[in-house]
Amino acid sequence: MVKLRVRQQKSFLRGGIFVEAHKAESTQEPCTFIDTPKELIFPIHFSGGGPGKILIKIGQAVAQGTPIIECKSGILHAASRAGHITSIEPRRVVHNSQALSPCIVLKTDGSNRQENNLTPISLPLDISEIKERARAAGILGLGGAGFPSHKKWEEKVHTLIINGAECEPYLTADDTVMQIDTHSMIQGACVLASALNVKTIVIGIEDNKPAALHQIKKTILASQADHSFEIVVIETKYPSGGERQLVWLTLGVELPSGLRPVDLGILVHNPGTLAALARALDGKPTTDRIITITGEYIGRPRNVIAPIGTPIRHLLTSAEAKFDCITDITVGGPMMGFNSTALDAGITKMSNCLLANSIKKYSIDPCIRCGYCAVACPVQLQPQQLYLALSNDNLERAQHEGLDDCIECAACNNVCPSHIPLAEWFRLGRFQNREATRNKQVAASARIRFEARTMRLDRLAQEDASKRVARREQTTDALVKARKLREKNTP
Amino acid sequence: MTDGIMTLGAGVLGLGIVTLAGGILLSFAAKRFRIESNPIIESIDALLPQTQCGQCGYPGCQPYAKAIISGESINRCPPGGQNTVDRLADLLGLPTTPLDADPEAASQDKVAVIIEEDCIGCTKCIQACPVDAIIGAAKLMHTVIFDQCTGCDLCIEPCPVDCIKLIPRPLRKDHWIPASPPLIATDRSSPLAIKHG
Repeated sequence: MVKLRVRQQKSFLRGGIFVEAHKAESTQEPCTFIDTPKELIFPIHFSGGGPGKILIKIGQAVAQGTPIIECKSGILHAASRAGHITSIEPRRVVHNSQALSPCIVLKTDGSNRQENNLTPISLPLDISEIKERARAAGILGLGGAGFPSHKKWEEKVHTLIINGAECEPYLTADDTVMQIDTHSMIQGACVLASALNVKTIVIGIEDNKPAALHQIKKTILASQADHSFEIVVIETKYPSGGERQLVWLTLGVELPSGLRPVDLGILVHNPGTLAALARALDGKPTTDRIITITGEYIGRPRNVIAPIGTPIRHLLTSAEAKFDCITDITVGGPMMGFNSTALDAGITKMSNCLLANSIKKYSIDPCIRCGYCAVACPVQLQPQQLYLALSNDNLERAQHEGLDDCIECAACNNVCPSHIPLAEWFRLGRFQNREATRNKQVAASARIRFEARTMRLDRLAQEDASKRVARREQTTDALVKARKLREKNTP
Repeated sequence: MTDGIMTLGAGVLGLGIVTLAGGILLSFAAKRFRIESNPIIESIDALLPQTQCGQCGYPGCQPYAKAIISGESINRCPPGGQNTVDRLADLLGLPTTPLDADPEAASQDKVAVIIEEDCIGCTKCIQACPVDAIIGAAKLMHTVIFDQCTGCDLCIEPCPVDCIKLIPRPLRKDHWIPASPPLIATDRSSPLAIKHG
């Protein structure tokens, strides 16, 4: 018997800001499939994981669902449409960097061929079977970070949270998933919950999504799941959808610095990831995702179901974008997304929004120590102090002020009366920090190798010396013997 | 009166015994747990870039660290750059001095690369590499392990066919530098105000 409880949030977000949502624009039209583009582009590098293994050859024909790349974490990425591989060449990618990166280019042929290497598997399932299937079907966290989901499914998990907050302005992709793909999402959550022995499934959803809320309630009540569900309606405030923030809002648990929710047995998933999991168990690898196309330069802002690898230009064309106004596009939301001029790059599993807005340029003024940023910070940092440290190249001080705990939500940017791009500073600082750590490791390894070599050379020299001594003794012995023999023989 | 003297005497005696015991314990610990290596050498070595290039005139970073505590100047490490000189000065309480090299050339991060067609397999570069980053065998082609190469240029000189050159280290594919945001001049306070805060 399914149990459902709808309640208000347990605790309130400390800090955070109220921003104009701009969500109505992209929800006017229903979510549809887009025309298959002529070309699909798949970068072979994945964030953090390094280059993946290429599983196909140039010229090879592939069907929808044929694995083409195996990334470092073992996840197989599938071709999202049928066609053939034309080349593997450097292309611009959806990334902050302007550099070219090797990509697999697939020319689609419009046919409907499907790869049937994954068969639907029946319930009940063991967690290792689900993990294996998630790996083979290419399940990544679809929320934006792209963390390999199966790595989070640990024994100690006791609560599953579905992150339906979607606090970022303009984005409605998760909202759409929760409305049109509710059944898959709930099914995915139930399978995962059964395999991990999770009793309660918590759904955190902001109060500006009544349609999704209604749909979820209806689906849960109609399902035959024997789990208890808890829908937590949270106040619309940015950034309530941050992983740590959502855990705090729904469960009242504050995560210690440096720990991830799963360390405390709390599993947080994006609705899209769970829906993709349900489809994977049905034998369909992740080949499509729902993406929001919106902004003032978009003629028909809406959500579309797009094949992974679709060029951004194709998506913009289908949404009737005003290309002569667009110089660059924000991938992700206006708060945490990044700007990219690479309109010919293919979208990845992590791209949840394309935002074409005019970029407002403010003149930046000195920090006046007003402290608004400290009030807005959802992790109770002192952004003005962090900024002071970073602008003076003092990384140690910045770390002391809690740079590692910054979630780069850019709430501080938004309230700064001097328009200082605080979050950019923090992003830069965190990057420099990582580089410094890396350099230290490299230096340590060089030292170890140098010391090992010095020791080896010393040892070899000693061995040489002792050999020489031994040889000399041998020769002396032989000479002595020979002389004795001669003396004996001569009368 | 005598009571007071007694209490005072007992106090002095008691504390005396405690301090004596502590003293004996400390002197014992100093002998028993004596650390052979000089901790200053290690903290200096930790600040050096570990390229083992020998440009300072010593055969490696640790020998240079040893030389520094016996009076060698601290500005002789080109790969470390001015930054390392400053940090060494900070550690040792010495006045900072300008780097004894061309700062432009020193700051570049380089790796050695062997032109493999030209390599005759003489193993001379393998013997020269201070961090064992070149692999190969006699009369067979050699190659540099990029990730281990420190760019020290010690392998260039011994090569009889000049088939090793230094190139700027190729960028990692996941490497990107976020654009440095514009800075307001007045927000950069004097370094003293924040350095040790």
